[in-house]
Amino acid sequence: MSYQATIEPLGETIEVEEDQKLLDAALRAGIWLPYACNHGVCGTCKVEVLEGDVDHNEASAFALMDVERDEGKTLACCATLLSDIVMEADIEEEEDALNLSVEDFVGTVTKIEDLTPTVKGIWLEIPGDGIEFQAGQYLNLNIPGVEIPRAFSLANPPSEKNVIELNVRHVEGGQATTYLHEQLSTGDKLTFTAPLGRFFVRKSAPEPIIFLAGGSGLSSPKSMIIDLLENGDERETTLVYGARNQSELYYFRLFTRLAEEYDNFHYLTALSDPAAGDDWEGARCFVHELAEQRFDKHFEGHKAYLCGPPPMIDSCITSLMRGRLFEEHIFMENFFTAADSGKPARRSALFKKF
Amino acid sequence: MAEKPKRLNLNQKYQLMTRGLDWETTYQSMDEVFPYDRYEGIKIKDWDKWQDPFRLTMDAYWKYQAEKERKLYAILDSVAQNNSQLNISDGRYMNAVKIWMQGVTPLEYAAFRGFAMLGRGFRGAGARVACQFQSIDEMRHYQTQVHAFSHYNKYFNGFNQYSRIRDRAWYLSIPKSYFEDAVSAGPFELITAISFSFEYVLTNLLFMPFVSGAAYNGDMATTTFGFSAQSDESRHMTLGLEIIKFMLEQHEDNLPIVQEWLDKWFWRGYRLLGLVGTMMDYMLPKKVMSWRQAWEIYWEDNGMALFNDLARYGLRPPKHHEAATKEKYRITHEFWSTIYQFSHATALYTWIPTTEELDWLSAEYGELFDTVYRPRYEYWQELHEKGERFFQKRLPVVCNVCQIPIFHTMPDDPLMNCCLVSEYKGTKHQMCSQGCLDIFNREPEKYCQAYIPPQQIYQGNCGGASLEDYRKWLHIKDEETGEYYGSEDHVMWEQWQAQAAKPTGVAPAS
Repeated sequence: MSYQATIEPLGETIEVEEDQKLLDAALRAGIWLPYACNHGVCGTCKVEVLEGDVDHNEASAFALMDVERDEGKTLACCATLLSDIVMEADIEEEEDALNLSVEDFVGTVTKIEDLTPTVKGIWLEIPGDGIEFQAGQYLNLNIPGVEIPRAFSLANPPSEKNVIELNVRHVEGGQATTYLHEQLSTGDKLTFTAPLGRFFVRKSAPEPIIFLAGGSGLSSPKSMIIDLLENGDERETTLVYGARNQSELYYFRLFTRLAEEYDNFHYLTALSDPAAGDDWEGARCFVHELAEQRFDKHFEGHKAYLCGPPPMIDSCITSLMRGRLFEEHIFMENFFTAADSGKPARRSALFKKF
Repeated sequence: MAEKPKRLNLNQKYQLMTRGLDWETTYQSMDEVFPYDRYEGIKIKDWDKWQDPFRLTMDAYWKYQAEKERKLYAILDSVAQNNSQLNISDGRYMNAVKIWMQGVTPLEYAAFRGFAMLGRGFRGAGARVACQFQSIDEMRHYQTQVHAFSHYNKYFNGFNQYSRIRDRAWYLSIPKSYFEDAVSAGPFELITAISFSFEYVLTNLLFMPFVSGAAYNGDMATTTFGFSAQSDESRHMTLGLEIIKFMLEQHEDNLPIVQEWLDKWFWRGYRLLGLVGTMMDYMLPKKVMSWRQAWEIYWEDNGMALFNDLARYGLRPPKHHEAATKEKYRITHEFWSTIYQFSHATALYTWIPTTEELDWLSAEYGELFDTVYRPRYEYWQELHEKGERFFQKRLPVVCNVCQIPIFHTMPDDPLMNCCLVSEYKGTKHQMCSQGCLDIFNREPEKYCQAYIPPQQIYQGNCGGASLEDYRKWLHIKDEETGEYYGSEDHVMWEQWQAQAAKPTGVAPAS
């Protein structure tokens, strides 16, 4: 049994299990709420319930006063839901969020292509009006025989409404990606839920853009960059992409061509561990190192979008911050599905997003 | 149907309610009006980037705080009416409360003063308002603590002179000098020292032992005060985080300054908390957890997680934190041994732990405790049983920075006393550790002026040079000091226990 909580001012709806704390559900859904003590004594996570009922559980009488209970306040770290609710939290509204409604879709596989030895491109056709999404968002794909849906970013730009592209890296021993790599064939039908996530370009912010991507984290940046360029966006946009070796480097020709075609788009790549036979004269380093070289360790005045494996993201955040680009200017993909059940690594309350 | 106007979000509401309440001064320059917020070298490019860590209006503040007061005082009334002093775990527990009353409660008052200064000192209105709220909070904490503890003052020794001995007692210069060091710095260092280093980084190591300790030991008054204060602490902690991020993000030149402050205030805070750890390990008859365990959870895990995140700004963990971690097996035993020997010069009682308690310490601290500290306690216990309770005949040399007696040992050798000397303007100054020595050497002109109580006492500036004269000057009676067993508190506690054991009352005459 679970309930739904709609979180204002974002307008996003999350699932909350019957005995799950509201804060826990929100954080797991990738929505950051202010919090500190996590056990009902400090009051940092106070939110207002606009509709529906909650149980305050062990919230301290000093941290959640009677007048506040009467006004509909609750402590997210203690509250469990007694019905579906609409709540308001002290979080900033995103001017550029379109808040598109989430729907269920059926797509037919029209093409499967090897992008690298470990990454396949999968194209799905969606009939009728197709799908509306913001470049950078993801979908939750239902895979036959796999209980929990898996998240994949949409790699095509939103202008292509009827054919979507997914890039799937084969995870050794992974049930879902093994199915997609070994059993899926053209003509199959797959169901999915979309669009999800809050990773999209803040178009209203005027700053030049840096995309930092690694491994198979190229889907969202590809969609976002094509979307920007085909809509005539003129700000300086740089993609810094890193792969292990040449055979894992994909869409190289696509981005090289875009960089030639558009003066405001720049494409840099590095290989971190080139293979013996690689014919590579470019940079041999990690993404964050290439970015530091390119921007001379000075990132102030940009917006950065990060996509890739966790160690790459981690190094890039540190490089950006030491180069004086801080949290409010850094965006990254956070998918959370039921599959992400592991506890996140221990961290402090210093940052909201990282 | 007319469309319902869109709800304002909390931020928009707050902006509308508070906008225009600050202005650029014209009759006098802003530098004249705010003369202190630049000389430390902290560069702020844009105060508008300050993110209010909490969005609170005065109206809401009064409403919340008034309800907290009503609840707290209702419970304090019931504590008094129900003779709740009878419900504490043991008479010895009250010495933990005395430590708080003598050492921490005056700090709340000092914090009220400090934040009132900050509430005037910053040119950014958001930071000023946050500090003004905190200033009022600190005053409230000070007052409610005095009220909470006043009930115990009716029965137990050691409470009644708290405000006088705060300024006069040699051992209370430990907490006092900590705060005076902070308030005599500039505004950014003060807020870093208190809001970040203390309220954010180390607060769990202060609150957890006292408030959980109170709850474990049947002390309803302190527990309730703790909950009432903790709901304010969340604002104080978020202010601490915001100030650090704000300074680091505003200008790259701020980084080395902030790093030096974190180095200094980590060490000062850690030294001060040694007193709290000693309270946890020795003064709580019912234990919450050991200092070692608390250090592992709240510093080695949580504190290091914070510094891992801060590393993104280029900050490194505070200097000497490794030494603090090495000391976790011994600092409370060294501290208790010292208080034990000098408690005839304090408004506290001390004692040798019971066998059961020594076994708990052995289990928590292992071999070092069994080979070094336990034999010492057992020897002192023997002396006590022979009627020769051991007290030092003189006052200790104290550290010129943290003002703690120089009893600490070398980080890598728990049997070697650590006393480091710095010579400045022809005078030798003793320090307890490399951490305190670094602090002294960074600002020798500040610390060479420190008021060092034992030196003042021996110079005859504190009522006379003998211990008796000094105690008289403190207005502490002899009966309020020294050994717990046989003390007035102990005798009274035993009488209460005897009464409780007897069948009460007589059947009413029919």
